[in-house]
Amino acid sequence: MIFLLPAMLVLFLTTIYPMLYAGYLSFRSYDLAKPFVPRVFVGWSNYQQVLTSGDFLNALSITFQLMVITLSIQLVVGVGLALLVTQRLPGMGIARTLLLIPMMISPVIVGLVWLFLYFPELGYLNYFLSFVGLDPIPWITSPNWALWAIAIADIWQWTPFIMMGTAAALTSLSPEPYEAARIDGNTRWQVFRHVTLPQLKPVLVSLVFLRAIDAFKIYDIIFVLTKGGPGDSTEVLSLYIYRQSFTFWQMGVGAAASFVSLIIIVVLITLFFKSLNRDQTA
Amino acid sequence: MSAITLRSVVKRYGSVEVVHGIDLDVEEGEFVVLLGPSGCGKTTTLRMVAGLEDVSDGELSIAGRRVNEVAPKDRGVAMVFQNYALYPHMSVRQNMEFALRPLGLDAAEVDRRIQEAAGILGLGELLARKPAQLSGGQRQRVAMGRAMVRTPDVFLFDEPLSNLDAKLRTQVRLEIGKLHNRLGTTVLYVTHDQVEAMTLADKIVVMQNGHIEQVGTPEQVYAHPNNMFVASFIGSPSMNMIPARHEGGRLRAEGLDLAVPSRFEGKLPEGQDVVIGIRPTGLQRAEPGAADAVVARVEVTEFLGNEALLDIRVGDHELIAEIPAAGRPAPGDEVSLTFDPSVIHLFDPQTGATLSR
Ligand SMILES: Nc1ncnc2c1ncn2[C@@H]1O[C@H](COP(=O)(O)OP(=O)(O)OP(=O)(O)O)[C@@H](O)[C@H]1O
Ligand SMILES: [Mg+2]
Repeated sequence: MIFLLPAMLVLFLTTIYPMLYAGYLSFRSYDLAKPFVPRVFVGWSNYQQVLTSGDFLNALSITFQLMVITLSIQLVVGVGLALLVTQRLPGMGIARTLLLIPMMISPVIVGLVWLFLYFPELGYLNYFLSFVGLDPIPWITSPNWALWAIAIADIWQWTPFIMMGTAAALTSLSPEPYEAARIDGNTRWQVFRHVTLPQLKPVLVSLVFLRAIDAFKIYDIIFVLTKGGPGDSTEVLSLYIYRQSFTFWQMGVGAAASFVSLIIIVVLITLFFKSLNRDQTA
Repeated sequence: MSAITLRSVVKRYGSVEVVHGIDLDVEEGEFVVLLGPSGCGKTTTLRMVAGLEDVSDGELSIAGRRVNEVAPKDRGVAMVFQNYALYPHMSVRQNMEFALRPLGLDAAEVDRRIQEAAGILGLGELLARKPAQLSGGQRQRVAMGRAMVRTPDVFLFDEPLSNLDAKLRTQVRLEIGKLHNRLGTTVLYVTHDQVEAMTLADKIVVMQNGHIEQVGTPEQVYAHPNNMFVASFIGSPSMNMIPARHEGGRLRAEGLDLAVPSRFEGKLPEGQDVVIGIRPTGLQRAEPGAADAVVARVEVTEFLGNEALLDIRVGDHELIAEIPAAGRPAPGDEVSLTFDPSVIHLFDPQTGATLSR
């Protein structure tokens, strides 16, 4: 028992205590700008403020939009790449390694890299577009494009994750059913659809699930690229929380918003595992 | 017209040649078994016929048509794999349906074929199950059913019984035999188990190191082996081999002096070195002092039921004799044994080829 103590102490100090403190804060009025004003108990009013705020609902909606866009493209492209790199073709080993690089870069650096690419006037991307005779695109300066710009950076970074997991699953599939299908004359698409995909499904579900949790918490790339702008067109939940806490200095409201997102994510996870279990028993 | 023809077929992996120009004819409706030790190229040959491996050189024809460049699906073959190769997430019925899909049959015909195969193979109750819910023998039957519903011109089997236990192996072996009698489809079957080969084959192809050593009926390869390899590979326990020399109408070796069997008279030059081959059943007990009997000490006896195997020592050769179990000698006893002259084989020690013809 005594040996567990240090670990439990660390866990308490780094995880449990901040959470309890955030819970405590979420029921208080706490303005960082007025540090000497007592933090009075305000009941559910912080939560009420969060849930009725158009900004919060907007952030929630943008978070989900971004999630749907990035996850669906990452899934399709990731599986496609996995199918490609697991072919026994020359150069596939190297391709596989190179494709993993984006995943290993810190999201802040990814944000900076894409900032260089997107930068108005000076960005490389528009420079290349001008070569092929296209007009420059206001990547991060137009509310119509900013979310897509972020999505592209996120897809670039995390598609390799889906690819890696899928490729590992693909190489573990036994080859004989594929030979049987080849002799029988099933088309490549039929084989993919009816032999490969069903066997990959459990792995794909887990990969998408892990990505979904991450996508829900997305922060760094957006902070570097747009800081939630232009306007609030890319303000996702974590940026909203950050803004409440450290721009408006409403620590209580920020804490309440964190808890609301925590509950949403827990509910999503629970529903997900429920549906997974239903699938398996069916 | 032959169902399958191989002419000087070669298989190379990179610079390594593993099948060295083999010739083979499989007739329509025939059950042909490729038999040989591990690594001799049986699977490789079968996979070339299936189209899963390219033919490096030579010509491969199915039903009189050159198929070297023809895709597997267009060769009219169906294959049963050693590890069944069933689609793990599909039920038995779906496995068969998926195999039928490329044929584009209507639903009623698909159902009819599945019912028919299920009836023949006793899969009726199992149609809704997934492979993981089946025993090894049942999976093997499903794999056969999946091949059968496509009504191919040729069935290819790669060691279909090797993952089954001994008892089940006998049972499924019988079923494969019955299936062939019933359907009359050409079969090319790979195994390293000579009992399977002997019981199932119309024709056995004995292979070694990427060469065909002999092609013949089970009786032919057993009774008239072409060479020492076939002679010792076929039959269990293996044929006894004794180096000897032809001297004055007699075959002499240490502790051994036999008359040359009349079949070989005039064919053997004086002083020729030979290898005498005789199966354990060709050695039988004799009265002490009988003509041409060898006297030997019994080292071990193995009781098999009706028969017993005697491990005996003649000169510095260990031989095995198979005799009736009743009244068998005990280890340490001296026995007299005669060589049945009608089943003596003689081989050339240099080439290993038979001297019997
Ligand atoms: N893909 C490959 N690349 C290189 N060599 C191979 C390959 N496949 C098989 N071989 C070689 O070809 C030879 C014949 O192999 P094959 O699988 O046909 O043997 P087999 O007779 O079926 O043996 P077993 O009874 O063990 O299945 C072996 O020496 C094997 O090492
Ligand atoms: Mg093999």
